Amino acid sequence: MAVDEGSRNYEHPAYDYMERMPGLSLAMTTVDKVLEWSATNSLWIFPMATSCCAIEFISSAAARVDIDQIGSVVRPTPRHCDVMIVAGTITVKMAPRVKKLWEQMPEPKWCIAMGSCAISGDFYRDIYSVVPGIDTVVPVDVYIPGCPPNADQVLHGLERLQAMIRSDRAGGGMPREERPETAKMINPENRRVGDPERDPSLTDAQHDASRNLGVGANSDRTRDARPIGDIAEDEAADVRGSVDDLEEGA
Amino acid sequence: MSAWEALRERFDLPEEPSAEEPPVIDVSRHVEMAAALKEFGFTMYVTVCATHFPEEAPKAKKGEDPPPPIPEHWEVATVLRRPGARSETFAWRVSVERPVVPTLFPLFAGADWQEREQYDLVGVIFEGHPDLRRLMMPEDWDGHPLRKDYAIDTRVHPWR
Repeated sequence: MAVDEGSRNYEHPAYDYMERMPGLSLAMTTVDKVLEWSATNSLWIFPMATSCCAIEFISSAAARVDIDQIGSVVRPTPRHCDVMIVAGTITVKMAPRVKKLWEQMPEPKWCIAMGSCAISGDFYRDIYSVVPGIDTVVPVDVYIPGCPPNADQVLHGLERLQAMIRSDRAGGGMPREERPETAKMINPENRRVGDPERDPSLTDAQHDASRNLGVGANSDRTRDARPIGDIAEDEAADVRGSVDDLEEGA
Repeated sequence: MSAWEALRERFDLPEEPSAEEPPVIDVSRHVEMAAALKEFGFTMYVTVCATHFPEEAPKAKKGEDPPPPIPEHWEVATVLRRPGARSETFAWRVSVERPVVPTLFPLFAGADWQEREQYDLVGVIFEGHPDLRRLMMPEDWDGHPLRKDYAIDTRVHPWR
């Protein structure tokens, strides 16, 4: 086999077909390129838009900036979309609904936190009813700071996400941006999803809360294909491993 | 004749209406007040606003004994409007030491969600309300966040 299957972190039904056809496996690198091109240039957006950032987000889809130019169209259903853009303040009552919609999006999927409120809660973050950053609820890949960000910053954020997806497809793993620095918070123990110091029981509690929203099919649904808890453990293991390497080198 | 003149003797109101300080009436006459105003044409339930006052010890002046502490109490202000030409509003307050006030839902259907909101945020119980559930906060929330003794860093499972 010409292609190292172990390094491939992306599944596609075409691969199964091509592996059975002699000679075609060599073409898989080309197929990878095609899939990468089509994935990065058709980032359909699910707008989780709750407040004023939504208005700025609308203008990013309008003529002057026009995110259509990189193939991003806005769809009002999570089931068609690749990217969830959280634009606005998320309250504690809204958070399980955001989580539920995030779980309805098919893999692979990414999340963009747009604006200060989605990133950290901003000046609402110490209010009893506001989630201190959407990254304590769903894993965030790209942060677009601003209050609200410009429309062209949204386009820039999508382009950063494209670059990250290309790096992921090249086998470099999915990088994630750091949460921008925020001022002192009353509850700094609310770490983001994937933070090694995050309390795992918080993730479980949030999963339970989002699953228990509905009845029937939703109440007993299993977790994502990529459980968020596992991602956190993997990242924690990576950090520990790199620290060990450093100590050995010294 | 304005509503104030018509109701002044019956409810023992002050001489002149004051926009800043609506009159305080006894809680036992709360429903009677609303019914009288409704007969007078105040058919529109504008708003209800409950306020929590925690126990307070006023400071003593120099050379005087400290005044008695003000006990914890709740104030519920109700505003009605008479629609149509020469429209006007009428507001009054009731002050209670326990957060229990009779509901105005049988008189004004519009009181339904307004009273639920005040119950949710301030924790005033509107006695006789047919469906007194939380309106804005999550259903399993603990406490009433607009009470003055509600700590800002109350850790609420699982987000705060």
